[in-house]
Amino acid sequence: MGLLKDRYCIVGVGETEYSRNSGRSTRAMAVEAIRKAMDDGGLSPKDVDGMLSYHQNDSTPSLIVGPDLGTRLNFWVDMIGGGSSIEALVGIAMGAIEVGMCRTVAIFRSMNGYSELRIGGTGARGAAPVRGQDLATRPYGMSSPGQAFAPSFMRHMCDYGTTSEQVAHVKVAHSKHASQNPKAFYKERVTVGDVLNSRWIVKPLHLLDCCVETDNATCLIVTSAERARDLRPRPISIMGVAGRVSKPRSDFAFAHGPLSRVAGYYAKDIVFPMAGIGPEDVNLTGSYDAFTFTTMLQLEEYGFCKKGEGGAYVSSGIIELGGKRPNNTSGGQLCEGYTHGMNLVIENVRQLRGTADDYCPGWAEGKHSYDYSPGKCRQVKDVEIAMNLGWSRPETGSALILRR
Amino acid sequence: MPNVEYRGMNLIVPENDSEWREYLKMAREHRLVMRKCSACGLLRYPPGRGCPWCSTLGWSWQEVSDKGTIHSYEIVAQAIQPGFRDWAPYPVVVVELDEQRGRPTQDEGLRMVGNLVTPDFRPEGEENVAIGQRVRVLFQDLSPEIALPQFTLTGEPPEGRLWRLA
Repeated sequence: MGLLKDRYCIVGVGETEYSRNSGRSTRAMAVEAIRKAMDDGGLSPKDVDGMLSYHQNDSTPSLIVGPDLGTRLNFWVDMIGGGSSIEALVGIAMGAIEVGMCRTVAIFRSMNGYSELRIGGTGARGAAPVRGQDLATRPYGMSSPGQAFAPSFMRHMCDYGTTSEQVAHVKVAHSKHASQNPKAFYKERVTVGDVLNSRWIVKPLHLLDCCVETDNATCLIVTSAERARDLRPRPISIMGVAGRVSKPRSDFAFAHGPLSRVAGYYAKDIVFPMAGIGPEDVNLTGSYDAFTFTTMLQLEEYGFCKKGEGGAYVSSGIIELGGKRPNNTSGGQLCEGYTHGMNLVIENVRQLRGTADDYCPGWAEGKHSYDYSPGKCRQVKDVEIAMNLGWSRPETGSALILRR
Repeated sequence: MPNVEYRGMNLIVPENDSEWREYLKMAREHRLVMRKCSACGLLRYPPGRGCPWCSTLGWSWQEVSDKGTIHSYEIVAQAIQPGFRDWAPYPVVVVELDEQRGRPTQDEGLRMVGNLVTPDFRPEGEENVAIGQRVRVLFQDLSPEIALPQFTLTGEPPEGRLWRLA
């Protein structure tokens, strides 16, 4: 079991609106999200002396954001990265506090992912010059995340008989969850038919197999269990973390292994022993939904079902609210908003506190109806342990296990 | 080596590109080459600095045959890069070359990404794209100094059963 198990906590979470026209800077959004997370945790500017962010040259650095919040930083890093960064940064925050570099760390991601630098790769990204290792893929019209990941899913379909219809259930489930989430960008429930009838983006992916692109900032705050005891909200304990675990031949993912094998195959052997639990102990998952199939591939690798049976697992009802182990109960990145993973962790924190911000009048006091019809409740009953499965690319992923 | 414009993209291969410059130059001579480790003898693609299996830095170029099998693919319906818009829908294929299949472990091989094209470099029709199809390299000259290796169907019987997205 891990040396630091349960010795660190997430004590504050916050985010801006999920929109496609923020009309403001990533600096302004970052300040709002961090301020909300500090208020949520009952933290003053003096309490926060560490800051971490991740970005793709599309954000504002910690040194600029920190003073806007009245903080003086003892530690900061702005790390290049997208998906799988947040879990890794939680682990890095724990380490920074453990060695005494700082006491409490705010981690943020601020992006105008639709109105400025589009996450799907259209616009400036698509027209960028090609050099170095990109020469292996981009001259062939393989540049966006969907284009880079699709062959992994295609091979899974070939080897295991997985169907478009099966993974469409991921979108169906997440849209159901989003319909109970006032913050979600897409709140409308969709059907399997809606997914299959949406236009092709890159076969085998339809439009509705792809995540939404949005503008937003998100933040969560990590501190020691000792300090967390004095704070207002119920601290959520970190049981285990694995950061940016990668397959061999991460220089060119197609070179190694079955193409449908993803990094969770390796990450599971770090995060589960650290937490001292197995997949059967997890009540709620946050499997990264850049696309419907990324959710499925990760659930398989972490052992929530057998390899090759992910299609059956995600279409069985297990991952829906009311099912045995719901996934991305906020609506995730297919529906709530795209944050490179932070909103999936924020949601699990709220679920573990029992205060999912749904349409129940008493959600803030943890009073829920558990009526999962549209526009009602999205709190899962009796959640003890939640897990995030972070995805960067097929060859790199992260994981985080939390408990209340 | 000057930069090359291809489909609206600037391909940048400067003199100090230790990995790609010679590879693309030899492609222009219509030779497909891989780096071969001087210690363990394994071939690697893309052209990396060290051997991924034994970490030896010594290597030499080795020409390989130009044949392989489609291992996976996708059909891009909505082009992201502006220069590909008039090409969509177009296939991108992951090809496993005949050399070194299943080595050094059964799940490895010399795999490359390319487009599946007709002999006159148009995107191959979707109905002809399938996992298991036999292909060979076709060099697409972009400048007097650079060519891109592409793939085209050989017409040979497929390897095992063909599979394509229904």
